[in-house]
Amino acid sequence: MKKQICFLFTLLSAIMLSGCGGHAKTADGGAPSSADSGKPLIVAMELAYPPFETRDDAGEPSGVSVDLMKAFGEYCGREIKIENTAWDGLIPSLQTGSADIVISSMTITKEREELIDFSIPYANALLAILANADSDIASIDDLNQAGKILAVKSGSTGHMYAEKNLPDTQLLVMPDESACVTEVAQGRADGFIYDQLTIYRNWQNNPDTTKAIFIPFQDVEKWGIAVQKGNQDLLDQINAFLADFQEKGGYEELTEKYLAEEKKAFDELHFQWFFDRKE
Amino acid sequence: MKRLKQLFWIPDNKKISRPAAFLNLLVVTALWVALFWVCLGAIHVQLDFTFLGQFRIRIWDGFLVTLSLSLCSLILSLLLGILSAAGQSSPLLFIRFFCSVYVKFIRGTPLIMQIYLFFYIVGTAWGVNNRFTAGVLILSIFEGAYIAEIIRGSLLSLEASQLEAARAVGFTRWQTWRFVILPQMIARTLPALTGQFASIIKDSSLLSIIAVIELTQAMREISAVNFRLFECYLFLGILYLCLTLPISLISERLEKRFQYES
Repeated sequence: MKKQICFLFTLLSAIMLSGCGGHAKTADGGAPSSADSGKPLIVAMELAYPPFETRDDAGEPSGVSVDLMKAFGEYCGREIKIENTAWDGLIPSLQTGSADIVISSMTITKEREELIDFSIPYANALLAILANADSDIASIDDLNQAGKILAVKSGSTGHMYAEKNLPDTQLLVMPDESACVTEVAQGRADGFIYDQLTIYRNWQNNPDTTKAIFIPFQDVEKWGIAVQKGNQDLLDQINAFLADFQEKGGYEELTEKYLAEEKKAFDELHFQWFFDRKE
Repeated sequence: MKRLKQLFWIPDNKKISRPAAFLNLLVVTALWVALFWVCLGAIHVQLDFTFLGQFRIRIWDGFLVTLSLSLCSLILSLLLGILSAAGQSSPLLFIRFFCSVYVKFIRGTPLIMQIYLFFYIVGTAWGVNNRFTAGVLILSIFEGAYIAEIIRGSLLSLEASQLEAARAVGFTRWQTWRFVILPQMIARTLPALTGQFASIIKDSSLLSIIAVIELTQAMREISAVNFRLFECYLFLGILYLCLTLPISLISERLEKRFQYES
């Protein structure tokens, strides 16, 4: 019996050492360096945001961000491995070193910049409102009132905007976009704040139950590619790649491939296009 | 030396002394904390719990919602469980199948799917707009199926000879229930039911997906804004343990107490 306990203790400590020692190796030195180019680059994104991060019919990751990262892989000669990660887990995956890069239509914000480093922006986005077709919502001010219910996706910039600027509105913090849209379509929520493109698509999908309000109510949001804090090598590479990608007309190709219809609608509405980064 | 040994070494069937229990628990806890600490160090994460003070009202409110959600569901699911356990031995075939299909459907599908289905389809159709009410109903329907199985199982484990004996001594139907079936049922189901209450508390966390602002949802909302995911979920675990640990202790006690009575 005594021996068994001794054995148990040894086993436990062995697990402690081996289980965590393995991690230590990959995360050593804070930043996974880009020098060891043999290993694939781990790219984390939430595959729940078509057409930027999604899966094709065969279940393979596809979308604007996926193509952008594949192009980056070719640019720097490294294999790219996409890891599907829930939104709330994206920043922790960089912090813990389990991913090298996060590209998930993530807006560059001050709060996030305290925890991770961002590349130069690769896209612009504005928030818009999806409202229930029968509601009296015509602008953001109509939502900022006691008794109004607003659906937001947990951790999105819409969520943060509402926390800061809509103190009187009751918030419904939902785990995914489709739940937010359902809340609005069923009239349980008065509105849903998200980026223009998603709002446009969901409005097109539910024309009878929803309406879209595109009047801008905040500054342009800039989307960036994120790396672990202090990983300057990788960040420099990404920034150089983005400049090169733009010069070669890569963004036009991506628009043509994934967003042709939306581009037309945006042009008719005189909205600035996502990848058009003129101030 | 011998006394020291007694602190760590208990031969079979001997009672564990209080200091020994305390000391060993301490060692075990320290070991787990150390394990966790080493892992955190290995991935270069430093915990910072200072934000908790800022959000204490939201966390406390969430805690209370979880508690009341679980209590309401416990009562309602107990009722549902007893009814459908009884229904499964009903002579009316329709009722018997109805209850058995209910139990099989609920136990065979994941709670997350039931929450979405009930809330957005059944709930919307019937105008259940209060999220707390919807949460209690969904959770009760879910847990009711499990409680029905607990009750049915212990009913089945009663030997037929006992009922024959009761009839032989001339017990009425009511007396048979009162003096033969119920005491044994309580002894057999109470520990399991207490354990089920701990499950209700944990399962209620899934109601966060329809934005019932219970403990888990409160923590999710906080971590979504301040990005302190690890701290939030660690603290969340501790809060749930505060609720479930006492319950599992009670369950253990009950189990011991009723061990020799049946």
